[in-house]
Amino acid sequence: MGLAPYLIISMILFILGIVVMMARKNIIAILLGIELILNASALNFVAYSRFLTNNIDGHIFSLFIIVVAAAEAAVGLAIVIRFFQVRKSIHIDEAVWLNDEV
Amino acid sequence: MFLTVLFFLSATLTIASGIMVVVVRNLMHSCMALLGCFIGVAGLYVTLGANFIAAVQFMVYVGGVIILMLFAIMLTGNKPEEKVGSFLLPAMGNRRTLTWGLITALVFFLSVGKILLGMFGIGLGKKTAPTDPSLFESTVDEIGTLLLTDHVLAFEMSSVLLLGALIGAAIIARPETSKEK
Repeated sequence: MGLAPYLIISMILFILGIVVMMARKNIIAILLGIELILNASALNFVAYSRFLTNNIDGHIFSLFIIVVAAAEAAVGLAIVIRFFQVRKSIHIDEAVWLNDEV
Repeated sequence: MFLTVLFFLSATLTIASGIMVVVVRNLMHSCMALLGCFIGVAGLYVTLGANFIAAVQFMVYVGGVIILMLFAIMLTGNKPEEKVGSFLLPAMGNRRTLTWGLITALVFFLSVGKILLGMFGIGLGKKTAPTDPSLFESTVDEIGTLLLTDHVLAFEMSSVLLLGALIGAAIIARPETSKEK
């Protein structure tokens, strides 16, 4: 396998993530789309590290991407759960005010 | 031979599950499709010789993030989305967001595809793998050495980031109890 199939798979994952982020209206679904995009970028790093360079720095980048994605998922889902406690909904169009005044 | 079979299995699993994440109506099923997508990406890591990253992908994503997402979906009720707004297309918000999402996907596909074609046209595609290392050689010791020598600052800062995320998530998701007082 060359570099090209990995780049094409990564591109497809990235595009699917963007479609999920733009088209779906559920906040948790948008978080799922963000996870897809982060996976695509991490896959790209490892593929380039395997096929273009001889070192292993791409693996380090991919590892840090996974760490940051885990932290982002934890904080994002906490915000979603808090939002659900306030608004009784997880629809993205409800999230236009930061305070619960309206 | 084994790696070729694994590559095609993982690629099929990744792309099919990714498409299911987009089109499936129920959010729980969508999350399960995302689990299949993560497993496929872990298989792709194995075909790239990145065994440690594949193991981390399994433990963090499949064991951690998906479970967290499932708990969040169950805690927020997983109501069918039709109750919230008037949707013409159930999984996709309304027609306007679907249209803009598809237009963005098309533009992105064309631009990135053109970049990739240009890259392979000027000879990047001709480069093969440098030296075919034995694919089940462990990369753990190299990654550990690099993490504690060259990238030690990022390593320590990621520990602070994880601590902050843990405390922040616990504080944000805490139920409101100050109203009774």
